[in-house]
Amino acid sequence: MGVTCVCQVPVTEGKSVQQTVDVLHKKLEQLGAVKQGSFCVDCETYHATGNVTGQPTKLLYVMHNSETPLSCHALFEGGPCLTADGNFDVLMLKLKSHFQNAKGHKVECRGSRYRYCDFLIKVGTVTMSSSGRGISVEVEYCPCVVPGDCWNLMKEFMQTFLGSSVPELPSVFATKPEGLYAPADCVDTMNQYLELFNKLRKLQAPGSNVR
Amino acid sequence: MADVMNVGVNLEAFSQAINAIQALRSSVTRVFDSLKDGMKNKETLEGREKAFITEFQDNLQSVNRDLKSTWFRNNLKVVINIPPTLKSSSPHPVPSINTLLNITKNSESLCVRLVQVSLGKVLKAIVVMRSLFIDRTIVRGFNENIYSEDGKLDIWSKSQYQVFQKVTDHATTALLHYQLPQMPDVVVRSFMTWLRSYIKLFQSPCQRCGRFLQDGLPPTWRDFRTLEAFHDTCRM
Repeated sequence: MGVTCVCQVPVTEGKSVQQTVDVLHKKLEQLGAVKQGSFCVDCETYHATGNVTGQPTKLLYVMHNSETPLSCHALFEGGPCLTADGNFDVLMLKLKSHFQNAKGHKVECRGSRYRYCDFLIKVGTVTMSSSGRGISVEVEYCPCVVPGDCWNLMKEFMQTFLGSSVPELPSVFATKPEGLYAPADCVDTMNQYLELFNKLRKLQAPGSNVR
Repeated sequence: MADVMNVGVNLEAFSQAINAIQALRSSVTRVFDSLKDGMKNKETLEGREKAFITEFQDNLQSVNRDLKSTWFRNNLKVVINIPPTLKSSSPHPVPSINTLLNITKNSESLCVRLVQVSLGKVLKAIVVMRSLFIDRTIVRGFNENIYSEDGKLDIWSKSQYQVFQKVTDHATTALLHYQLPQMPDVVVRSFMTWLRSYIKLFQSPCQRCGRFLQDGLPPTWRDFRTLEAFHDTCRM
């Protein structure tokens, strides 16, 4: 795995989510990118129960990524994360007494996957309980493993189809001492998706927050 | 002038030597085959062991025999003859060049060595060397596997990334550029210095157009003299 950046793309004024996505697809195809199937990232939220009283309940996010179809990622809020076999979902059912599924908080991101040279681009729409919330763009530069090395290069590439909505260096990389991307799993990518999902959730539905 | 230098090689001796090597290879294979197959089914355990050990000893003996014969055959002499017409046309008496090559000794200096080069967290290169001369080179990404399935260095398959396929092409060009048969050590040094400039492969914009990307690729060319970064099409 290379260096990945996940960002949100604002919906163009006067256009629908789907129309904005179509424009992005068109721009990518004009650039010379080739469509290579589709992708899906999903996230379930669990409340940790049975805590010592007085302490705020922590959240556990269980995520899947079609790029690693046999794995399951569990990210503890502000804490450790693990990558396990797909069976982890069954284990979560058995841990009902400790982690309760926050029903109706399932987030999904689906869309098309494009390849351009050594770049992998995924344009997706984020849906929460079957209502569309926003557009995500994931760009991966596969040959490089150090985010700090290729960030300017990635930024230049993203500008060609995102224009002014190019993000800053993702914060997951800023905290790493060496900036080396973990090549074996996609935890950094999942963290970025989680950050995006939480942002979209707070942005459009302040009343129906998970907590 | 149709005078072609005749290389008189004792072809018969060569074919004998090759046969001897083939015989040695098959007898060595037999040793490992019999070890792999293990003991054959016999009525008693003792009988089984005895038969196995006898077979093993026989196999080792034939390896020994073939090895001796290979050593004997390989003391070949290759004679390079200058055609008489060439000798007489020369104003000075040409010393008759009866170069005797001892194949067994020379095979040491002809042996191939693989040098694995890691450049920061950017790339990995395999440099195939014949004695001190660089024969070829292949460049792959830092996160790519450089070993094949059997655990050996994979010196053939190209990188899955276009950027490193380009760098491999340029490295081959560089090898031709730095060619200096009299001073192979200088070649190695110049080539390695040039290769080192790829440490900033993803960080340096093109020195001509000032951009990072062109057709989706970073500046993959490095000037042989100044080591400056250029896109492949910007270097002209």
